Amino acid sequence: MSSITLSTVFRRRSDVRYRRIEGEAVVLRQSAAEVLVLNEVGASVLDLADGERSVGEWIEALRSEYDADPETLTHDVLTFAGELEEAGMLEVVAP
Amino acid sequence: MSLSRLISTAWRENLLFSVLVELTYRCNLDCFFCYNDLGLRGEPMQRDEYFRLFADLQEMEVLNLTLSGGEPLAHPDFLVLGARARQLGFVVRIKSNGHALRGELARRIRDEIDPFLIETSLHGATAATHDRQTRVPGSFDRLLANLAEMRRLGLRVKINSTLTAWNEGEIEGMFALADSLGIPLQVDPEVTPRDDGDREPLQVAPSREGVLRLFRLQFERGRAAAGAAAEVARGGDDGTMPAPVHKHCGAGSSGIAIDPYGNVYPCVQWRRPVGNLHRQSIREIWRRSAGLAEVRELTGHVKEMVDAQGSGSHLLNFCPGSAAAQAGSPLALYPAAEQRRELLEQVMAEEAGRPLLPVVR
Repeated sequence: MSSITLSTVFRRRSDVRYRRIEGEAVVLRQSAAEVLVLNEVGASVLDLADGERSVGEWIEALRSEYDADPETLTHDVLTFAGELEEAGMLEVVAP
Repeated sequence: MSLSRLISTAWRENLLFSVLVELTYRCNLDCFFCYNDLGLRGEPMQRDEYFRLFADLQEMEVLNLTLSGGEPLAHPDFLVLGARARQLGFVVRIKSNGHALRGELARRIRDEIDPFLIETSLHGATAATHDRQTRVPGSFDRLLANLAEMRRLGLRVKINSTLTAWNEGEIEGMFALADSLGIPLQVDPEVTPRDDGDREPLQVAPSREGVLRLFRLQFERGRAAAGAAAEVARGGDDGTMPAPVHKHCGAGSSGIAIDPYGNVYPCVQWRRPVGNLHRQSIREIWRRSAGLAEVRELTGHVKEMVDAQGSGSHLLNFCPGSAAAQAGSPLALYPAAEQRRELLEQVMAEEAGRPLLPVVR
């Protein structure tokens, strides 16, 4: 797993497919035939992982959408990004 | 939230999740028991109409898009449509007989469509049986070569088969063949009438003994894994069992099927037209079709009827589409479902009496 900072830019891996059902996301990683279900915030992170916006920009976007403590949100997003990368859902475009 | 609960939500809230598109009824094989209504006529869907449909489906958050037929590869725009489906982020499945899935075309499918799964059809364990059913000499050998090539290319492949009177004696060999190829095999124990109601395919319906033999084999193969019954019982979308919901299935609630002429049906097996894409968008049909509203209500009544059949009701694998085709009503029990329950109960009773460990004397 790479070292993730606020300037890290991720994109969804090409074999990841997902759709939202009432806010939550059903995510399929095709190559592994794995299905994940993400909650609303997790689904938003997946939306934001477009290969252009940095993790810092994700946090700004999520702060405007959800009423969360900034410090907690930053910690949680950095952790979650690492988990998604480890699960093969995201790949680093820029460290 | 679990996947099964999300699927329940899709059923309950009528959230379209899976769409099967029959691109064409043209085919390079000539299977005796093919269920397609080859006499159906209409104005074929054009490329731009498919593009519009796919764009609507993307906005509707549809996840699964299956390209089927006939033989979908026989459609002149197959690669273009498949690539568009990939671009729009669908989980693309292809249902093909596998006859043309080789060489450059197979490579282009991998590279341009990147399907999640290709489902092909095996009709026997020998060339004599397979080719008898497809009515194309050499189709068995070609399928095996193509399956091996698809595996080499890294395509994800599954084999489907329908149990018939002609292949029921080879069922063990069919599983052994699939195992040797490293490809999963799913066998449907039921031959159905054609979509126009023609019952000719039932001439090759499997015998009771043949179905029993299949179920025993499936239990035997599934014994190592828990829940062998699940292998033959009905699942939800993509085999996932939904959490309890007030509908029997997702027909018209989370899934639909579309024929080559733009007719929309609640399910590939339930050929009750609920709209046409030449006249209305899929969004309009999904929201306003009176036919779909009826189907959604009917699936609730189907659940009540099936639940009333008692504790083994899930073993019926009841399909309202099959019921409509075989018994004239989506609410009518049909013989194949009743036979299925009876035989599964028999096999489950046999399994219950089996010692967990071999007895050494």
